[in-house]
Amino acid sequence: MSAGTVLCRFDELVDGEARGFDPQKGGQDTLFGVRRGSRLYLYRDLCPHATSPMAWRKDEYLNRRRDRIVCFAHGAQFEIETGRCLLGPCIGQSLQAVAHAIDDRGNVRLV
Amino acid sequence: MKILGPDLLVFGVDHVPACCEFLIEYGLTPVGVTDQGGRFEAMDGTGVLILSSDDPSLPPALSSGNTIRETIYGVQDAQTLEAVGRELSKDREVRRAADGSLHCTDDLGFAIAFQVTVRKPYAAAATLTNAPGSPPQRGPNQVAVDPDAQIRPRTLSHVVFFVPDAARMEAFYHRLGFRVTDRFTGTGAFMRPEGNADHHALFFIQTPPFMQGCEHFAFHLGGPSDVIQAGSRLVAKGYQSYWGPGRHIFGSNWFWYFNSPMGVHVEYDADMDLHDDAWTPREATIGADASQLFLMQHREKWSPGGPPPA
Ligand code: FES
Repeated sequence: MSAGTVLCRFDELVDGEARGFDPQKGGQDTLFGVRRGSRLYLYRDLCPHATSPMAWRKDEYLNRRRDRIVCFAHGAQFEIETGRCLLGPCIGQSLQAVAHAIDDRGNVRLV
Repeated sequence: MKILGPDLLVFGVDHVPACCEFLIEYGLTPVGVTDQGGRFEAMDGTGVLILSSDDPSLPPALSSGNTIRETIYGVQDAQTLEAVGRELSKDREVRRAADGSLHCTDDLGFAIAFQVTVRKPYAAAATLTNAPGSPPQRGPNQVAVDPDAQIRPRTLSHVVFFVPDAARMEAFYHRLGFRVTDRFTGTGAFMRPEGNADHHALFFIQTPPFMQGCEHFAFHLGGPSDVIQAGSRLVAKGYQSYWGPGRHIFGSNWFWYFNSPMGVHVEYDADMDLHDDAWTPREATIGADASQLFLMQHREKWSPGGPPPA
């Protein structure tokens, strides 16, 4: 993943929802983010339990109440803000956060 | 004891509508499904029951957070049901529900139940192949591929559990007449019940206790082409492939696993080996080499010679 890559415009992201990204255009999302207000929590789409992609369908990374990230391989639950696994097969481990910034044109960029 | 295999898997889930949507896309038929959930059936009546995690009719949740709540096994007849009840009553409480089914927990605390099977006879065509050197199975002008084919899961094949003590699970199901067909050293055994020749209806994976739960379940489709066609349709709709399509070595079944909103993997499988008591179990160390004969990863549409000119 090269620094500078633009993932999307920040204002395309729906507040409270998740979205997957495929910056290498390999046909499989490798990153995902959850927008909360003016913040984006961006992680690798790689569950620490079995190094698996986590969504159950494109962009579906959250539980019904939208207050936890879930790995839909075996149900591990993660805190959105920290990426820490709170319950499930990788309890105590964490998602890998991905450094990014929102540039002056409103683009979400990898840094 | 002629247990035939799981008839129904019961899940208590966070997001009922998402699970219902997934299982319909997977190909099961909803039966009496409402926004509170309901049953999803294969052709022979076996299936999956989806209820909200707080539904009071469910057995208690596992502390791991895994959504499996009960595995209901089908047995051949009323005498078998009584025999199972007598055996299990020796060392645990067995409760009889209003519909006659028997409910208890196994030696690791999974809720299990037994009923006279719901599996009903059904007819569905086999995949016919033309292999040079053998008589053709499809004659002239009989076309194999139908891009619009309706592909329905035929019967509930097997369920796989993460367990903190695989040896104890094996011993418990042995009591109920299950046989070991093959084994991954240090991981767990593949088991088939006495009333079913399929290579496995159960497989155990040894894990730490905080992982206890269902790893995946699979329904049989009609053949490898069905597995790949049905799986490709899920991929095209944005569903997340986990592993596959490929072919296992133990069991020889074709496979394709997907993530699901139940938080367990859901597999399509086809063309599993059959065994009887003349079989000697094999043993291997788990890993990609031992568990897959080959793996074909899905890729975007492609044709030899590149895409047609625009
Ligand atoms: S791979 Fe994520 S919980 Fe197992």
